[in-house]
Amino acid sequence: MLKEKIEKHLLEIQKPSRYIGGEVGSITKDKSKIDVRFAFCFPDTYDIGMSHLGMKILYSLTNERENYWCERCFAPSPDFEEIMRENDIPLYALESLDPIKDFDFIGFTMQYELSYTNVLNMLDLAGIPIFAKDRTDKLTQIVDAGGPCVCNPEPLADFFDIFILGEGEEVNLELMDLYNKMKKEGASRLDFLRKACQIEGVYVPRFYEFVYKADGTVDHVETRENAPKVVRKRIIKDLDKVYYPKNFVVPFTEIVHDRVSVEVLRGCIRGCRFCQAGFIYRPFREKSSDVICAETKALCENTGYDEVSLASLSTSDHSDIDNMLTQLIDYTEKERVNLSLPSLRVDNFSESLLEKIKKVRKSGLTFAAEGGTQRLRDVINKNVTEEEIMNTCRIAFEGGYSAVKLYFMMGLPTETDEDIVGIAELAQRIIDLFYSIENRPKGKGVQVSVSCATFVPKPFTPFQFEPQDTREEIERKQKLLIDSVKTKKVKVSYHDPNVSMLEVILAKGDRRLCPVIYTAWKKGCKFDSWGEHYRFDKWVEAFEDCGVDPKFYANRRFEYDEILPWEHLDYLVSKEFFIRENKTAHKAVTTPHCRLRCSGCGVNKKVGRDCF
Amino acid sequence: MIRLRAEFEKKGRAKYISHLDLNRCMLRTFRRSRLPIWYTEGFNPHPYYAFALALSLGFESSCEILDFNLNEEIPFDEVRDRLNAVMPEGMRIVRVWEQKLKITAIQEAEYSFSLVSENSDGLFSDVKKLLSQENILIDKKTKKGIRTVDIKPNMKIISCENNNGKINVLMRLPAGTQTNFNPNLFIEALRNSTEINFTAENISRTGIFCENNVKFE
Repeated sequence: MLKEKIEKHLLEIQKPSRYIGGEVGSITKDKSKIDVRFAFCFPDTYDIGMSHLGMKILYSLTNERENYWCERCFAPSPDFEEIMRENDIPLYALESLDPIKDFDFIGFTMQYELSYTNVLNMLDLAGIPIFAKDRTDKLTQIVDAGGPCVCNPEPLADFFDIFILGEGEEVNLELMDLYNKMKKEGASRLDFLRKACQIEGVYVPRFYEFVYKADGTVDHVETRENAPKVVRKRIIKDLDKVYYPKNFVVPFTEIVHDRVSVEVLRGCIRGCRFCQAGFIYRPFREKSSDVICAETKALCENTGYDEVSLASLSTSDHSDIDNMLTQLIDYTEKERVNLSLPSLRVDNFSESLLEKIKKVRKSGLTFAAEGGTQRLRDVINKNVTEEEIMNTCRIAFEGGYSAVKLYFMMGLPTETDEDIVGIAELAQRIIDLFYSIENRPKGKGVQVSVSCATFVPKPFTPFQFEPQDTREEIERKQKLLIDSVKTKKVKVSYHDPNVSMLEVILAKGDRRLCPVIYTAWKKGCKFDSWGEHYRFDKWVEAFEDCGVDPKFYANRRFEYDEILPWEHLDYLVSKEFFIRENKTAHKAVTTPHCRLRCSGCGVNKKVGRDCF
Repeated sequence: MIRLRAEFEKKGRAKYISHLDLNRCMLRTFRRSRLPIWYTEGFNPHPYYAFALALSLGFESSCEILDFNLNEEIPFDEVRDRLNAVMPEGMRIVRVWEQKLKITAIQEAEYSFSLVSENSDGLFSDVKKLLSQENILIDKKTKKGIRTVDIKPNMKIISCENNNGKINVLMRLPAGTQTNFNPNLFIEALRNSTEINFTAENISRTGIFCENNVKFE
């Protein structure tokens, strides 16, 4: 049995409890009574993957069905991978400890581009053919993927049988039901895929063929097997009625987000032009405060966690935020639960709200200012003014805070040196503000941390057409920023531009990147998002070996009338809207948020109802 | 406030829960049980509970000791059952009672393990040879660095048998607030003194004792 083989080596590796299952809340079933087995794979380590909310939802949802069994599977850390390869331990699922190659579905969640090579590595460790075309004709081992990255899944197209677009709560079960039925009828893989692609939200890449122009851009996409010309993402209509787990798997080892998360809302009203999540998760839908509180209570009681966080793109945009927080804080105080509130926007961070939050927990303050000058913040439609940032900082400092963390991006469209210097100047003005306050925290200095990411243009945003700055340009701007900071009270950190470059290529790429990813993995690339494992030199070699020019994807402006590699996928927001927003951005004109005025992104027309 | 003590098992997959993780795990178990656990009254109130001895990662045990306080009187069996209903797989409360002895009364712990080798007869004679030595010196990692210790004087062999290719050992070693010797020290000493390949399996703590062989309660 695999279990004995695994246990033999568990004490030789770091944090062995990650590899043996048995956590509280994990679900085991009698496999002789199971019709469909689903391995939910997260292409990163346990510590990261176990923090993913989508997995928790789909895990519990699938397991509600008596005859389906969803299990978890993660990428082993390099120390355990070595042992697995040496001792012929195939990649296995944590509940049954059975090899995932024997499962019906091997489903990956694609949360970030830099996890792509891990998918290949996991398939290889599992003993599943890496290319979809090499898999058996029999109906088994369906390798599928969902998550934000599959809004442009083309760089992964050769490796997957199915991509699931949008929210999975309904479509996953529909797909498993179809599988269960067809498996009993003795259907083949191809029979199944032909039927599956007729389900809304199911994209079967092998039925689509890209034809390119001489200049390398897409000429057109041909479809086969009656597959729909355009595949539309799935959404859940009513968030109050959608399934939400009453229990989570509670890990033994500490994970990145080791707490209860309760989803507050989906979508975002803000329309920040760089933000993919802000567009691909539309329409905006909220859960009612009562449902949020009931879910919080159930999860805290069942898991035993003493910390809860609210998950959303912008919690403070909930229309009933005050009542919700009042109710929640009542419960959490009584039960001695910590409440943490990420994603609070600067502009509606009121004093009364801060008071409530302060009552609960005193942690750091973080603001995503994103741009160093008002002009640039207008370009990206981050509707935050300096006055608002200063006001919030003032309230925070008067309330006893002395550390502020600011997030910025570098390499944004229309950015000039003035905008970069503006970041340092803004940080300096926050420091000046601190010392101008009479009742500032005594005995402590002020600390402003500036975290500066490199802008990565993403599909399904108004900036999808934009090129990324070249590495040389980013490095120059990083140096400029460092030189503009005159005090030790401001700490600057920034991203490796080589990593951001790979991100944009994988985000905006097409099918010609499949061999590049394969080659890079063959050369040893994996865990690309982990600084210590990232091998840019190997990626450069892979591009060269495959004759693919990375600059074509990273540093080229995609024209408005060009067929984008993701244009056959419909995420409800129209391309016309993105073009309009892109033009508005270049005029440094803002677009109001959805509650103030509908800006006509097209979602309401497709969904067939008003957003508010 | 009622001061309680529980004896619990940590077996099967639960042996991969590290001591640090066990702390977190127990906190969540208490919360799931909804028992009225007593919180400390300091600046940062937290549920009070303590383990008598740390158990090495990978060891099983039938006799771990957990101390905690409750705000109300609840029958011991009910406390046990409520905890067991929400315990992770492999962990089980055997018994709950009111604390009698102080944790500092602990003097030694008993361990059982098997030494497995293709040449178990040869290994058995090497074990005997090692046990007949006057000293068993071994490097022990401490907070202050590596120190050579002699584990022989305080080591008691309860039994040591060669059984179908397996050498089954039951031994007691000093434990508690003063000196803590881990059976891995003995196993390492054996590894240094024999040329025979072997593995140590099923290391398990089987008892915790005070002076004069009195079971710690």
